Amino acid sequence: MKQNKLSYKIQQYLLFGGPGTALFLAVVIVPFIYGLYLTLTSWDGVSAVKPFVGFQNFVEAFSDGDYWAAMGRTVIYSIFAVVFINILAFGLAYLVTQGIKGQNFFRAGFFVPNLIGGIVLGYVWKFVFNRAFVAIFNSTSLLSTTEGAMFCLILVSVWQYAGYMMLIYVAGFMSVSKDVEEASRIDGCTSAQAMKNVTIPLMRSSFVQCIFLSITRCFVVYDVNLSLTNGEPFKSSTMAAMHVYNQAFTYKNYGLGQSEAVILFLVCAIVGVTQVLIGKRGEVEA
Amino acid sequence: MSEVILKGIKKIYDGDVTAVHDVNIHIKDKEFIVLVGPSGCGKSTTLRMVAGLEDISDGELYIDGKLCNDVEPKDRDIAMVFQSYALYPHMTVRDNLGFALKLKKVPKAEIKRKVEEVARVLDITQYLDRKPKALSGGQRQRVAIGRAMVRDPKVFLMDEPLSNLDAKLRNQMRAEIIKLRSRINTTFMYVTHDQTEAMTLGDRIVIMKDGFVNQIGTPQELFGKPVNLFVAGFIGMPVMNFFAGCNLLLEGGKYYAEIRNVKFELDEFQQKALKSRNQKPCEIICGIRPQHITVGEGELSAKVEVSELLGTEFNLHARSGDDEVVMVIPTMDLNTDVSMGANIKFTVQPKLIQLFDKETKNNLIWYDPVSAKANAPECARY
Repeated sequence: MKQNKLSYKIQQYLLFGGPGTALFLAVVIVPFIYGLYLTLTSWDGVSAVKPFVGFQNFVEAFSDGDYWAAMGRTVIYSIFAVVFINILAFGLAYLVTQGIKGQNFFRAGFFVPNLIGGIVLGYVWKFVFNRAFVAIFNSTSLLSTTEGAMFCLILVSVWQYAGYMMLIYVAGFMSVSKDVEEASRIDGCTSAQAMKNVTIPLMRSSFVQCIFLSITRCFVVYDVNLSLTNGEPFKSSTMAAMHVYNQAFTYKNYGLGQSEAVILFLVCAIVGVTQVLIGKRGEVEA
Repeated sequence: MSEVILKGIKKIYDGDVTAVHDVNIHIKDKEFIVLVGPSGCGKSTTLRMVAGLEDISDGELYIDGKLCNDVEPKDRDIAMVFQSYALYPHMTVRDNLGFALKLKKVPKAEIKRKVEEVARVLDITQYLDRKPKALSGGQRQRVAIGRAMVRDPKVFLMDEPLSNLDAKLRNQMRAEIIKLRSRINTTFMYVTHDQTEAMTLGDRIVIMKDGFVNQIGTPQELFGKPVNLFVAGFIGMPVMNFFAGCNLLLEGGKYYAEIRNVKFELDEFQQKALKSRNQKPCEIICGIRPQHITVGEGELSAKVEVSELLGTEFNLHARSGDDEVVMVIPTMDLNTDVSMGANIKFTVQPKLIQLFDKETKNNLIWYDPVSAKANAPECARY
């Protein structure tokens, strides 16, 4: 059979999968591997020379106090942001799946902040915190204090991502069989008991996806960080990604910045994948 | 006592779409009642109103003497088996069975005892620690029934519980339900679109169409005394033969049914019934069940188009004038050629002819306007 020949299969693959694979290699795999190579150099990001320094950059990265302080802040920021994003998104999804009037309008409305880019969103909220709230409450800007800046960053991230995660939760709510919900009502569940015992367990895959997406997005937050606080005051809101960027492009330590980026990637991947592996246990089709 | 009384129950969607019209059913304690009808006739909606899953737009629902219109499903002391089984996919069979009891805060030991007892009765003990995904359709159906049984409810509701099973398993489960019924001895309300299920399971059957109750009666009553053309056509397999263009004649004080210009003198009971309602001669539709036709001799003739031998009987599809006539003829003592293309003579006992008014489609003998009014004002709206 012609279809069973290896050469035929390769031809077919190259025809249909080839362009996509080439593009993926060109824009993801090659830069990633090249980036790994750069971690072994002391390149400044500009010169043509890339002196090989072995694992020196990783040694420096592990002893870079600012980097680990930024990493610590990123972890704290991520914990709060992930929790609040998911609580709010779940609540909104519940609200817009109850058949209320105009629920499609609300779904679209809650999703809009996700369409506005992080940079624009950051500047809009910066205006709100620095001008509007200051004028209304006649107080100093929240962005001017260390705790306030972190709070603002979390608030804006929640605002930005809750609508997006809401859509995944909406899909989760809609995938729960109506018959199963009704069976739980007949079995004696109150609304809260049905939610706890039936709906939430059946939406486990939505939780896994949303938590994974929010963790990975929060760990590498940069745009909102840049436009809203720019790491200020006193670097108290500098997140790991911003520190990496500054290290590579502002301080011209590209090799070090790159190795810090690799560490950030590993931390993010380990946390994300662990969460998915744990979450996937006991997952069932609704 | 777990009577269920539906008094003038209506379901109106969005203020103008009436799905269920003025249903009146009195289900006696421990009675097995079957709601049957074609898709969209309102049978499931009626059941869901009894379950509390749909609001009642108008009328009153009593369960065990208590007005339940606004009572939450969990407080009605009912159990329901869904068409899709509606098992909790994230729970084991054991947890599915014990869930309702757990919510009622029944002691764990008691839950365990009841779950294991039900599992033993339904022969699903070996599956108790499996999840529903790992069960076959029939096993899932048993779990769904078990989940309802374990609660020992006042009323057992079943919404097309056998529809998702293949024909063989359906027959098997039907027998299981009959056995189950004798074992748990409670009030059953069962919805199906399958008239065989309705006939074999129900103490009484409620036939619905377009949201109206057409007739309520025992299987035998529905088979022998259909109040209108719809009921006559819905109950019975193969479907009743209808002869259009027939006449009801009144000659010399006696009524005759005229089919294909052949006059059949109606029997004494029919004569009395027609006289009591002072029936005028009119154009009628005559209904004859395939099993009531006798082949060999007779005044009517037909040409066999299809002849199906089913062992003990033949199913004949014959053409008589413009009508296709289906006949079920026992093979025993059959002396007539009933092969394809054969011309046959057939007849029917007049007392077995059903007479339907051509205009109203109601049965001239069995339609009772008074009881129809009591059941549903427009139940005869065919």
